[in-house]
Amino acid sequence: MLRFAIRRLAMLVPVFLAVSLVIFMIIHLVPGDPLEHLIQVGSSPEQRAQMIARYGLDQPLLVQYGRWLAKIASGDLGDAIVMRRPVSQLIAENMPHSLTLGGTALIFSTVVGIVTGVLAASFRDSLFDRAVMGFILLGSTLPSFWLALLMILMFAVQFEWFPVSGARTWDALVLPALTIGIGGTALIARVTRAAMVEISQRDFVRVLQAKGVPFWRIQLRHILQQAMLPVMTILGLRIGWILGGAVTVEYVFARPGLGSLLITGLGQRDYPLVQGCLLMLAIAVMLGTLIGDLAQAALDPRLREAMGAR
Amino acid sequence: MKTMMKGSILALGLSALAAGTALAQEATFVMTARLVGAPTYNPIKATKLNTATTLIYDRLVVQDADQSFHGQLATSWESSPDGMLWTFKLKPGVKFHNGEPFNAKTIEWWVPQFKGTENAFTVEAVDKVEVVDDVTVRFHMKHPDPNLLFNLASSFMCVPEPKSYEALGDKFGVTEAIGTGPYKMQQFTVGQQTVLVRNDDYKSASDLSKNQGPAKFKKLTFREIGEESTAYLELKTGGADVLVNVPTDFLPRIQTDKAVKLVTIPGNEVVYMPINTSVEPFTDIKVREATAFALNQKEILTSLYGGNGETADTFLISSLKESQVDPKYKISYDPERSKKVFDAAGWKPGADGIRVKDGKRLEVKLWGQNGTEFKRLAEIVQAQLKAVGMQADISIIDAGSINAQYRKKTEHQLAVRAYQWTNADIVDWFFAAKRAGYPNVSMFNDPEAEKLNDIAMNKSKTWDERVANFTKYHEYVLSQYPFAPIYQPVQSLAYGKRVVLPEKIRGVGFSSQSMIDIAPAN
Amino acid sequence: MSRSSLAGRLVRSPRGAICALFLLALVLCAISAPWIAPYDYAAQKLSIANTPPSAAHWLGTDEFGRDLLSRIIQGARTSLSVSVLSIALSVLVGATLGAAAGYFGGIFDRVVTVFVDLTWSFPEILLALILIAILGPGLHSTAIAIAIAYLAQFTRLTRAQVMALKGELFVDAAVTAGARPARVLFLHLLPNAMTPVIVAGMLATGDAIVLEATLGFFGLGAQPPVPSWGAMMSSGTAQIFIAPWIIIFPGLVIATAVIAINVFGDALIEALDIRRPLRDG
Repeated sequence: MLRFAIRRLAMLVPVFLAVSLVIFMIIHLVPGDPLEHLIQVGSSPEQRAQMIARYGLDQPLLVQYGRWLAKIASGDLGDAIVMRRPVSQLIAENMPHSLTLGGTALIFSTVVGIVTGVLAASFRDSLFDRAVMGFILLGSTLPSFWLALLMILMFAVQFEWFPVSGARTWDALVLPALTIGIGGTALIARVTRAAMVEISQRDFVRVLQAKGVPFWRIQLRHILQQAMLPVMTILGLRIGWILGGAVTVEYVFARPGLGSLLITGLGQRDYPLVQGCLLMLAIAVMLGTLIGDLAQAALDPRLREAMGAR
Repeated sequence: MKTMMKGSILALGLSALAAGTALAQEATFVMTARLVGAPTYNPIKATKLNTATTLIYDRLVVQDADQSFHGQLATSWESSPDGMLWTFKLKPGVKFHNGEPFNAKTIEWWVPQFKGTENAFTVEAVDKVEVVDDVTVRFHMKHPDPNLLFNLASSFMCVPEPKSYEALGDKFGVTEAIGTGPYKMQQFTVGQQTVLVRNDDYKSASDLSKNQGPAKFKKLTFREIGEESTAYLELKTGGADVLVNVPTDFLPRIQTDKAVKLVTIPGNEVVYMPINTSVEPFTDIKVREATAFALNQKEILTSLYGGNGETADTFLISSLKESQVDPKYKISYDPERSKKVFDAAGWKPGADGIRVKDGKRLEVKLWGQNGTEFKRLAEIVQAQLKAVGMQADISIIDAGSINAQYRKKTEHQLAVRAYQWTNADIVDWFFAAKRAGYPNVSMFNDPEAEKLNDIAMNKSKTWDERVANFTKYHEYVLSQYPFAPIYQPVQSLAYGKRVVLPEKIRGVGFSSQSMIDIAPAN
Repeated sequence: MSRSSLAGRLVRSPRGAICALFLLALVLCAISAPWIAPYDYAAQKLSIANTPPSAAHWLGTDEFGRDLLSRIIQGARTSLSVSVLSIALSVLVGATLGAAAGYFGGIFDRVVTVFVDLTWSFPEILLALILIAILGPGLHSTAIAIAIAYLAQFTRLTRAQVMALKGELFVDAAVTAGARPARVLFLHLLPNAMTPVIVAGMLATGDAIVLEATLGFFGLGAQPPVPSWGAMMSSGTAQIFIAPWIIIFPGLVIATAVIAINVFGDALIEALDIRRPLRDG
């Protein structure tokens, strides 16, 4: 198991290098530069040139990349140009909000998703199954900004149950978490249901049924346990979406977060900030995928062998 | 839990008894759109400051809505007839939030701090500052600068406390911000919120404020909300007390909302359509003229902005003296003139209504910056140009890259833009040949204009002379049609039930002059 | 599997059939938009701006007094063509890359895998926002951005399919018979590997419609006055309190279209008897 983990980790190194290069280059492909946000009415072209030099933007891109990589190696993400703070500080300020929102949404969608998935699979093709799956489908197809706006109009403006926006009180978390959670619920419920239906057709289930093991015991103890495998994979893959996928929802609810920080940085062409955010996201996603793989391998020794043999 | 509940019910009862005397101690302000994202409260080094800045710091002078100057940290001032010497008397006994005194030495330290910053131009003309006595300073000038008072009244000229400024370096304005203003900065999270607590010793308000003592709220929270609809809903649901900048296209809706009150002040913004004079067909002044007279400013004012604000007929806001040009230079909707001039220029209507000359259709590009207001404006302009036979294809370009696109110089033809500035030197900024591309989006390059520009910018000794010179320059620019004026927005504030705003807002924008007059409603 | 039996199986699932008919109707609407729309989608009439649904304007008017129904019909053209074309592009490129990687293996496979892991690392919306920042807003860049955002999905799927099929007897037979690798790949492997990929592509078209709408919400999609469902909702956001129909109707159309695509996709999967591809997002 340890060997597998190390192997898997080593495979990430070239990916990380490639990712860092792409991340660095991609923002420089965007037209415009951060100085547009620093130029004042009345300032001269000479001042502009001075500023470009001050931020090291006059150097060749590869030189800039080398410097950036060297800094990262020493744990420094650099300073944001327009925001004028260390990038790491900005990320540290925003990360907790992303984690809270993403985490709440994740817990919500996992719990509700698995429960509805199990129920739908257990009463397959019943009215309940169809109603639940239909509702979930509806929830997952609505664009999240649309859902967010309707949620605000209904629960914040009409009923005044929750605040419209912000992240200052715990109850401000409810609507955004729900907005994101609904999409996740649909996915997890669907995967759970599909996996359970498939497993329930396997021979060992028939054997258990023949032995007279109670229905729910089979469903929960035997089938659900195995069905967790694909669900785990999906959850591992969703780490990046948890951290950065909430941009739209964060924007509508005026919540801080890694996604919004990235989009702000992109809008301001703040190179170090965008690079830092993208890098954090990429690292999180790689770790998420890794953990997902490891968890899978721990649950399924065959996979471990297969991956190790590759 | 139960006792707590009882306690709070009791407190509720008590406060009901004491109604009328127990007033709100806190208020929440919401800033949206372009006020979002100011990275620092360091006035010297910032290029973007928000509304809370003038509550933390004071300035030497402040302006009223009519552009007149009033002393804040300065009590009086005078300049020598040749404009080479300015003397300021300072308010005695003013203290910074950390107890340090404010005096002539502060100013002597302060002015040189601007050197090398993006705001260096503000005091570029000052050679040196001389301390005459504790409350008197003298500015020795390199050359006359009639614009000095205007610069001093800008929020970039807020006076910070020297010792903490030196000690904190780049962290000044981020972790701490120390000034002499009516509020102290308690906490600042960039892009999110700023919490201010009252400076109980405050007494340096200008004569524009009714309240000459400390502010009326103990604590103010300035929240930043990018999405305009969300910002408005916070106000509507009582999550906020004041919406500092109401987006103009929201006005019609807010006026019908009984829960929300609205105060408007004269605008400091002009919306206009630059015309790239260096590309076909706009190299022909006739085509520019015809295009400029095709825009129906009144229709835009009523349909897009619900009649709030004014139409624009020059390049400057109408509270500036330099906007009072000879009427023959003003540009406002005249479809007959537009069609006649198009015909005269050889552009004749084609079969589908779009004009044609030498087999070429009158098709142009119309650029706009990303955002609902500009997008909607572009769509109306598109329809209006079509009415006189010009087909304009819209491109919406995001704010971060549109200036870089303008710098390519030949890519753009028409655009809808806005600027926010309260000084006539903006004509130089947007039309001087040396800035062609951006900010001179019109690519305007005219020898006569350059001559008049030089006189206005560099040869004026006094304010009145400067006004006369800029008016001439402005008139000439108007006569060449490098743009079409569209609209002057009002600045609007909306507020909820818990606060009362002064009826008349003093100042060219919403800043400390009137903010310390905001009181809790009873 | 013969074609008639597939159609037969589909018809036996009435939900699938209904959705197929709905989608067909939508496509027909999109194709014939200029002829069936009751009004000119671009004609402004400011005097009737923001009027609620009425007999003259079934779905009401927008902030310029333009007929909403006509704009939704015209918008179907934009939204559907952008999402279908971008996914088609994505499937084409993704399948080629994935098939080649799966078949040839080695260093090429490694490079493709790294590339896939890389784009896979980012939520589609972030990827698309960054790509549009580079390409500039507009319909073309929206389509390209969506295509790239979903590329990893199809590359992965095709690669897995090809790798699974590589060991099958008919491939060995073709190779032994002396067929060139490209011939084996394109004539023998791909046709057999493509069914799940194409179904996944169909399902992704639904996601692409939503992504297009979200990009439109950020104001980056279709340029005015050309309507797309997303762009319509974007300008509707500012009107949500006084004219909620501007944002509600396009939203409903999007939801219905995406549900129809999903249900039809599911019916297709059942009829074809393949596993539903795992998707994210």
